Amino acid sequence: MLLSYFVIVGHSMEPSFKNGSFALVSSIPYLFIKPKVGDIIAFKKEDKIFIKRIAKINPPAGGGKKYFVKGDNNKDSLETGWINKKEILGKVIAKI
Amino acid sequence: MIKQVLISTISKILPTKVAYAHCDIPCGIYDPYQAQLAAISIIRMTGMINDLTTSSSEPSFDERKKIIHQISRLTKVKEEHAELCKHEVRILWADYFKEEHLREYPNLHDLVFSIMKHASKARQEINMEESKELLEKVQKLAEIFWKTKSRKVTKIESSSPSGGKIVIPQ
Repeated sequence: MLLSYFVIVGHSMEPSFKNGSFALVSSIPYLFIKPKVGDIIAFKKEDKIFIKRIAKINPPAGGGKKYFVKGDNNKDSLETGWINKKEILGKVIAKI
Repeated sequence: MIKQVLISTISKILPTKVAYAHCDIPCGIYDPYQAQLAAISIIRMTGMINDLTTSSSEPSFDERKKIIHQISRLTKVKEEHAELCKHEVRILWADYFKEEHLREYPNLHDLVFSIMKHASKARQEINMEESKELLEKVQKLAEIFWKTKSRKVTKIESSSPSGGKIVIPQ
């Protein structure tokens, strides 16, 4: 995914991304730098694409790094949990 | 205006895909009210079963039929509400409560476990004591739930003729 355009569905990334807002996502940044805590990323899980923020990164423990992703709307959002690097599609580079 | 032009231009170049900002369900719909109402319904059903009487020690066939019918209906509703209570508590436990809540309320797992056991017992038996204890435990869970949202709580009397209070945010 060099560059993709997404409409956000759901409330868990509010106030950063409101339901119905748009985002540009690219995999190019992660060709040069590693995903870091605070990055908003698009990732694929069970054939669905989600947008969440990286909250924690665990140190490599045999199986490679894992990323803990969660919504910004802490009041009520379900935590998605740990994902692998290969599940990350790209970084949100612009909010429209 | 500029934003609209930008969105329109980009969507002509790149197809618009959907990215979900939620997991299983949309956010913001957790509430322990239903679990408490279910526990109150169990108390009511248990009370109504206990209150059933016959006109004599040897009631007629018609009277027996009516009582059996009534017990069946009350038991069915009691069963349903015990399962509903467990279902609602399971959702709060699995989907709402997070690690940070557990650190703040370390007895949360024990409380949920206890609710499951009391709900099962209240379903299996005609046991008013168990039913009341179930409500008490669910009220405690409701208090914790609202505290995690920094809300003060109050108890209001339910509309059930058998009584039972509901913890709600102030």
